[in-house]
Amino acid sequence: MRKATVARMSERIAVPALAARSWPWLGRLLGSGAAVYVRSILGLLLVWHLAALSIGNHAILPTPWLVAQDLYRLLLNGEIFDAAGTSLWRLALSFVIAAVVGLPLGILMGLSRLADDLIDPVVELLRPISGIAWLPLALFIFGVGNELPIFIMTYVALFPILLNTLSGVRQTDPTLIRAAQTMGVGRWVVVRQVVLPAALPSVLVGMRLAGGACWSALVAAELVGAPSGLGFAIEWYRQLLMTPKVIAFIAVIALLGYLTDRGLRYLQRRLTPWATGIGDVP
Amino acid sequence: MSYAVSARSFILPLLLIALWQVWGGFAPERSRVPVPVGVLAEAGAMITSGELPSALVESLGRVGLGFFSAGSVALLLGLIMGFARTVERNLDPIVETFRPIAPIALLPLAILWFGTGTPASVFVVGYAAFFPMIVNTIHGVKGVDRRMVQAAQTMGLSRSKILWAVVVPAALPAIFVGARLAMGSSWLSIVAAELAVGSRSGGGGTGGVGQMMFVFYAYEIRLEGIVVCMISVGVVALVIDRGLRWVQRWAMPWAREVGR
Repeated sequence: MRKATVARMSERIAVPALAARSWPWLGRLLGSGAAVYVRSILGLLLVWHLAALSIGNHAILPTPWLVAQDLYRLLLNGEIFDAAGTSLWRLALSFVIAAVVGLPLGILMGLSRLADDLIDPVVELLRPISGIAWLPLALFIFGVGNELPIFIMTYVALFPILLNTLSGVRQTDPTLIRAAQTMGVGRWVVVRQVVLPAALPSVLVGMRLAGGACWSALVAAELVGAPSGLGFAIEWYRQLLMTPKVIAFIAVIALLGYLTDRGLRYLQRRLTPWATGIGDVP
Repeated sequence: MSYAVSARSFILPLLLIALWQVWGGFAPERSRVPVPVGVLAEAGAMITSGELPSALVESLGRVGLGFFSAGSVALLLGLIMGFARTVERNLDPIVETFRPIAPIALLPLAILWFGTGTPASVFVVGYAAFFPMIVNTIHGVKGVDRRMVQAAQTMGLSRSKILWAVVVPAALPAIFVGARLAMGSSWLSIVAAELAVGSRSGGGGTGGVGQMMFVFYAYEIRLEGIVVCMISVGVVALVIDRGLRWVQRWAMPWAREVGR
């Protein structure tokens, strides 16, 4: 009798272990990556909540719950979609411009020694000047508007795309090119059929780096010189001291930045499945 | 041959600079448009007056402060996370949650918390430095050859001794790569932070090179001064990067091919 009680008590103490034994799927769920993630984030939210309560000023640090409410409201009235749409549209346009300029230039520089010798010094002179350092001058040239963020982002995206295309083209196995040439293939076809596929993994790495650089440039450019967009929104609500909305927009920026990176990584895996691991330096 | 190559590489930059100068001469309002000659003169004036060096020193001081305070925390945390799997499993989600946030996006919050002075910029710099540092440290510690750790364990070393005598030296090259990347992104964000603080606080006198650029833009309309600032920001970035690469080669000759 007494033994049985003890056994039951010990069973009661070890409920998770027991649950795991009775329902293996529950054990897997509790120990899975997702559960650990949820646990960590819940811990973070708890710390945040307590910190917010102890500060007691929502303009300085609102509770997570207030942020969630405002986030919901912003989603409902479409404000987030407007701002994100504007920003993403600018981002996409700059990305396309940078690719249209950077890809051919990189291929040209990779194939022609002369072009490389001529253009490379200009690239190396401009590259250390960050996109953000262009902000005041660009403000003067373009004023506050769409052009400024697009200019800054294009500038920022150009270098990773150009340089990675260049290095991809340079790393193309010369044997392959010579083989194609031996078979009497024209120059253009060699570029399209041999060089481009060989350089593609590196090009995609460049695009991913460009995507990351674009995001941080986007925020900086919109913060300083745009009448709309995500960067503008956080600064606008900061001035109104509506901190929950500031944090909500920061969260949206983080999420979209993360999704952009994931998307480009997915593209990388899909288009160049043979090149996993390239450029995955943290 | 090599002469021909080096001569060739000057053609386009010089041509562009000459074009810029000529174009500036034709521009309608000559005093406003920056031209290379004017930029040179301005650079000379700003350096001799001590305006530029003091602004750069101020910005670098903030970078140093943010970099070392956040970097040392990141280093410590990264070592622990790389070494202890449980800690890593639980902290990694939090690190990965904050990592995608662009440091500049936190600037409005930093202004709310710290005002428009130095602490706000230092906070943004620290945030920018934290993530490259911690990610590369974890990466480095995890990349340490397990056999070396096992050998040390066999010889009866304590856990802390193993961490200090085996893991840290082996992970040092990766940590240094992290430090270099962190330094680069710190310098990038200090300029942005000073610039944005300047533009949003109505040009309060917090100094620094970014602030100086904003004052030139908004109040003094000295475009040539802006160009001088841009160039010096680029030069400092280059010096930081090359300098740290050089230090790495000099201090860790065994780690030639680590990272980018």
